[in-house]
Amino acid sequence: MNKLLKELQEAALQRETRRHFLHTCTTGLGAMALGSTLTSCGFFGSKEEKTALSTSSASGEPMTPRPSQFSPKAKRVIYIHMAGSPSQLELFDYKPELVKYHGKDCPQELLEGKKFAFIRGVPKMLGPQGKFAQHGQSGAWISDYLPHLQTVADEITFIKSMHTDQFNHAPAQLLMHTGAARLGRPSIGSWVTYGLGSENDNLPGFIVLASGGKQPDAGKSVWGSGFLPTVYQGVQCRTDGDPVLYVSDPKGMNRDIRKQTIEAINDINQQQYDDVKDPEILTRISQYEMAFKMQMSVPDAMDIKSEPEYILNAYGVDPNKGSFARNCLLSRRLIERGVRFVQLFDWGWDTHGTSKDGSIETGLRDKCTTSDQAVTALLNDLKQRGLLDETLVVWGGEFGRTPMQENRDGQTLPFMGRDHHLDAFTVWMAGGGVKRGFSYGETDPIGYYAVKDKVHVHDLQATILHLLGFDHSKLTYQFQGRPFRLTDVAGKVVKSVLA
Amino acid sequence: MKPQLLVVGGLAVVVALTLSSFLGIFEDKVDFNTQIKPLLNKNCIACHGGVKKASNYSLLFKHEALAPAKSGKLAIVPGDADASELIRRLTLTDHDERMPLEAPPLKPEEIELLRKWIDQGAEWGDHWAYQSVEKPDVPNIGTFWSRLGIVENDELNWAKNEIDHFVLDKLKPEGLKPSPEADKATLIRRVSLDLTGLPPTEKEVADFLADNSPNAYEKVVDRLLASPAYGERWTGMWLDLARYADTKGYERDPGRTIWRYRDWLIKAFNQDKPFDQFTVEQLAGDLLPDPTDDQLVATGFHRNTMTNDEGGTQDEEFRVAAVMDRVNTTWDVWQGTTFGCVQCHTHPYDPFVHEEYYKYLAFFNNARDEDVTTETPTLRFYKKDDSLKVQALNNWLKGHVKQPRQAQEVMKFVRITEPKINSHDFDQYVNASLLDAKFFGVQDGGSGRIKNIDLTGKNRLIMQWGTKAKNAVLTLHQDSPTGPVLLTTPTPGGRDTTMIFALPTVSGHHDLYVTLNSPETPKDWVQIKWVSFQPALPDQPATALGEMDLKLAEILNTRPESTPIMQDGTGDLARKTHIFERGNWLVKGKEVKPDVPKSLPPMAKELPKNRLGLAKWMVSREHPLTARVAVNRFWEQLFGTGIVETVEDVGTQGIPPTHRELLDWLAVDFMETDHWSVKKLLKKIVVSATYRQHSYVSPELLAKDPYNKLLARGPRVRLAAEQVRDQALAVTGLLSNKLYGPSVMPPQPDGIWQSPYSGESWKLSEGEDRYRRALYTYWKRTAPYPSMITFDSPSREFCQLRRLRTNTPLQALVTLNDPVYVEAAQRLAETMTLRGKTPEQQIQAGFRLVMLRDLTPKKLAVLTRLYRNTEAYYRQHPEDAHQLLSCEDATPQLAALTVTANTMLNLDEVITKE
Repeated sequence: MNKLLKELQEAALQRETRRHFLHTCTTGLGAMALGSTLTSCGFFGSKEEKTALSTSSASGEPMTPRPSQFSPKAKRVIYIHMAGSPSQLELFDYKPELVKYHGKDCPQELLEGKKFAFIRGVPKMLGPQGKFAQHGQSGAWISDYLPHLQTVADEITFIKSMHTDQFNHAPAQLLMHTGAARLGRPSIGSWVTYGLGSENDNLPGFIVLASGGKQPDAGKSVWGSGFLPTVYQGVQCRTDGDPVLYVSDPKGMNRDIRKQTIEAINDINQQQYDDVKDPEILTRISQYEMAFKMQMSVPDAMDIKSEPEYILNAYGVDPNKGSFARNCLLSRRLIERGVRFVQLFDWGWDTHGTSKDGSIETGLRDKCTTSDQAVTALLNDLKQRGLLDETLVVWGGEFGRTPMQENRDGQTLPFMGRDHHLDAFTVWMAGGGVKRGFSYGETDPIGYYAVKDKVHVHDLQATILHLLGFDHSKLTYQFQGRPFRLTDVAGKVVKSVLA
Repeated sequence: MKPQLLVVGGLAVVVALTLSSFLGIFEDKVDFNTQIKPLLNKNCIACHGGVKKASNYSLLFKHEALAPAKSGKLAIVPGDADASELIRRLTLTDHDERMPLEAPPLKPEEIELLRKWIDQGAEWGDHWAYQSVEKPDVPNIGTFWSRLGIVENDELNWAKNEIDHFVLDKLKPEGLKPSPEADKATLIRRVSLDLTGLPPTEKEVADFLADNSPNAYEKVVDRLLASPAYGERWTGMWLDLARYADTKGYERDPGRTIWRYRDWLIKAFNQDKPFDQFTVEQLAGDLLPDPTDDQLVATGFHRNTMTNDEGGTQDEEFRVAAVMDRVNTTWDVWQGTTFGCVQCHTHPYDPFVHEEYYKYLAFFNNARDEDVTTETPTLRFYKKDDSLKVQALNNWLKGHVKQPRQAQEVMKFVRITEPKINSHDFDQYVNASLLDAKFFGVQDGGSGRIKNIDLTGKNRLIMQWGTKAKNAVLTLHQDSPTGPVLLTTPTPGGRDTTMIFALPTVSGHHDLYVTLNSPETPKDWVQIKWVSFQPALPDQPATALGEMDLKLAEILNTRPESTPIMQDGTGDLARKTHIFERGNWLVKGKEVKPDVPKSLPPMAKELPKNRLGLAKWMVSREHPLTARVAVNRFWEQLFGTGIVETVEDVGTQGIPPTHRELLDWLAVDFMETDHWSVKKLLKKIVVSATYRQHSYVSPELLAKDPYNKLLARGPRVRLAAEQVRDQALAVTGLLSNKLYGPSVMPPQPDGIWQSPYSGESWKLSEGEDRYRRALYTYWKRTAPYPSMITFDSPSREFCQLRRLRTNTPLQALVTLNDPVYVEAAQRLAETMTLRGKTPEQQIQAGFRLVMLRDLTPKKLAVLTRLYRNTEAYYRQHPEDAHQLLSCEDATPQLAALTVTANTMLNLDEVITKE
């Protein structure tokens, strides 16, 4: 009897502490949101246990849209990551003082106790190479590297006082996108789709578009789902071959035959369900339906040939070639279709000065030329379609670049270049709930340290989540015995940039 | 005789039961572990625990909980709830003082429970998993009379072994009955997939169906356990735990040659290497006396940590990251405890303190691998001529050394080029640099220091170095850059040349300085990768090189295949371990010595305080976790859910076991009866009646036990990523059964590999290597094989203890459209044409090949209709049929059958283990 009682109590406790994978949803999300959608989410205790169907999967539509914790300003995000990190000193962070020091030895006090990725010994200072002027009514400083962006200066909030902890690409990109410098954490896009679901059940909720010929240094982990269920990982849409892996039917199989096969699969699966009553089968039936729909909607979303000539021209897109510009246009098409999070990566911004392509004077200019028009067109296009108000656009690299000329291994390099720098860089945001024509934070006169209103990577992440309607400290997931979140144990919302 | 005993036993049980329930009404003793600890964890520990100790009060350990808080008040006065501050604070109405702060109050019944517990003496209990594991009694089943053999009984008839007793014991109070045994075809498919990862062949099924002997099933199990595919299947599981990959990770993610470790696993599982030995060899094979090559290869387990070759990264940072990963992974895999928390602070919930993490880390901190690009230490596999040279040297040594130990030391250097000092440890650079943050480089007029070298008896310097500089001269000085010259030598012509130099006889520890004179090409770097100071070979002149030195150098300059292994530094190369304050490797606290946490049994005195001692401690009979965690993992692999569902966490935050007594019984049986034999453990589980149940579920049972925790039915789970692929290849006759060897590259879409600064590419394998089992597929951490990832395979950056099964549209796209599956469908269709005349016969035959049973008429009708429609289409569009089959004379019939086969391979029952 005693034993029985104990067992009953144990069973009750068990229900409370149950942590199946989707059940470990968050303490902060509104119960009304997840209780009804993530049916296997056990956090809400025994009450929803009754409606729970399955322990083994994301049954119950983990992608169903659900409200955020509070009313959001932004509903969707386009995050443009310039992998390799553009030089803030050439583009936005105008430092006339640095001109004076050009070619002089870097003062010792800036080097003491510092570690750089490649600078050794005493490097020379490198003056800004862009021609700066103020633009728009807001008087934003933008250099001649970005002539198009100058025209939309009044749409943008610049954060010039960014800083990070990591001065190597892979760890810094991971910190930027997953909140931790080591591999294995969910990316920001995964967190957002986990929190909000997707507004489109024919397309993945989190889509990644990469350009520049290489993946980001940290690989697919920057859009991975870490310990979150894999349904939340970013789906990379590719420019060559299938836009989503295996989305095309085999050659010689047309849509109608595919439709018939899916109907046959689902018919037989339904019969199987009638026999064995495993709820997982019902989920599988709906996933096959969605797969079929994706086969139509993904190619449709990715096919830009239907775009009018003037749009293609505005973005500067060659419809037959993959490019960053094409990805900008695609990101608008995806956002339009209700995709929650579009992540763009463009590789090739790592301007050390070791080669022409990797130089400040040529390589950086080329990267700007191939992207400036498209980014500007994207902002204009979103605005014209009334999407900019609820779409947050973020632009930036993983860290900044030094005010010093790089002297890799003590050598004089053939081109102008700057090393990785963690103490100061610029990120800008536009649309969805941020101020228009605003500049936040300052660096010192030579752009070495962020000195006023410093913004850490975790602060930026907290701010993005805030704009989407989440308290970053409450969007959590229970894993290995503790709740995890994007901002680790840090992060403050930058209130001043909120509109 | 026996029945009589049972009568007495039965009576005793009746009496005992009556007594205890009688007493229970009065006592109703509160149990700390199941009733109190969860309440504390949920409501209190976040502020009063391992991370934070608000008001200097913690409820983590008993001594802390019973000590006064900052206020001086006693939170818990054992035996007196009214005097206990804890109870007072829980029941206040004032929100500023009432606990828990800023949270809803505890429920009255919860407070009552705490009150009762304190009144009963506030007895503290250790969490079950940290208590030593004892073998519980096997519960009786059946009725009293049936146990005597006098009447028939369903329970007795159903049960096959002890497992079933434990399971029935939990079912009965719930009013549930076990399900009948699955039909034979389903059962053999289930057990084949579970034990070998592959479905049975037609013949195996036919044999089983025809075998009516009582042990027919057992014979199948024995055959499966003896099949080479068994080792492959369980290796697949272990590779996730070992975070095995064929690349190093991080930015460049370049290749790593460590497949020999994977092959070691296959052999170990197939030989049924006892789990204790399996553990010791992987964690500490290098520390066993005279380790064999196999024992060294086994230590590859912990060389699967990621290393960072990205330019500019600090080796020490990533070495430390790898060491911490080894600590965390060892705990995750063998102890089912997330020790990673303790890296930064005392464990929030479980009884481990911050300092203990670093004591434990000290076991691993001596490893010689230091995030260098060459992956050393590695075990070198000399082949052909090279191995003859090594053999000759070995023979020569045997004839010339005074003690065998001397020869062993030399041969160890030949095998693994250790001990040596990596040049990133040089300091005091003048005109020198740590090139790419990896290796010491020096220019004309430059110098660098090699710190504190014991030169006693060391008349040889072995150095790997290289340069493009012309006519440069390197000098080695003693004690200062201008001190006595030990060596002057011209630089070598090429890169990465290993050279041996004779040194004058010097005794004691000295700082050494390398200086460079390179006036002709002053800007060219001379790069040193590593140095090693060694005694001269026997019978060679001490201060000049002899003939054998040259032979040794020749051997050291060969480039044999190699695999990363563990190797500890000794003497001057042993590291001190310090606590990292809040987990930050740059902030070092006090020094600690290797030891195990206090809340677990101590290490036996005779065990050495190194990895070997640690491994032996882990597999000692006294250790409460290792066997339980192992048994739970194997159980989870078979049933889809562990007895403790959170296989990664059996601690106080984990989900409590559904059948704790069963877990303990299996754990003890595993250690004591089966002597850690995994095959015996698996056999015990799969022959149980519990395992053999069919997996159908009635609505009533589903409502009562949706997650099948009580095991009133058999497991029904989607196949693992590897099984999905392997099955499709196996049932269509494409699968290669080749064992072992370097990883292979089956077809994958273009453009998956795009690592920056890496020239490596996916080179499609030839012939049967395209159709190998999934575990042989080349695993690139930053771009793993796409279809594997889609089916929930982890990326293997870190150890993954449990794959969470998802069910997504992307999975459907893989099995519908991935050319691997389309090819499989085509092959299946070709076989189908040979197996019947009518479409119905052909479809039926195809399904039998895949599922080893007949299609029901209703399902057959669906597929036949599909076939007829598609056949009609392809008859009108022969060019589509040609395209589908990439063949000019493809018939509409074959095309339609291919479509039907493709459909079949996507059925839920096909990708599910039923």
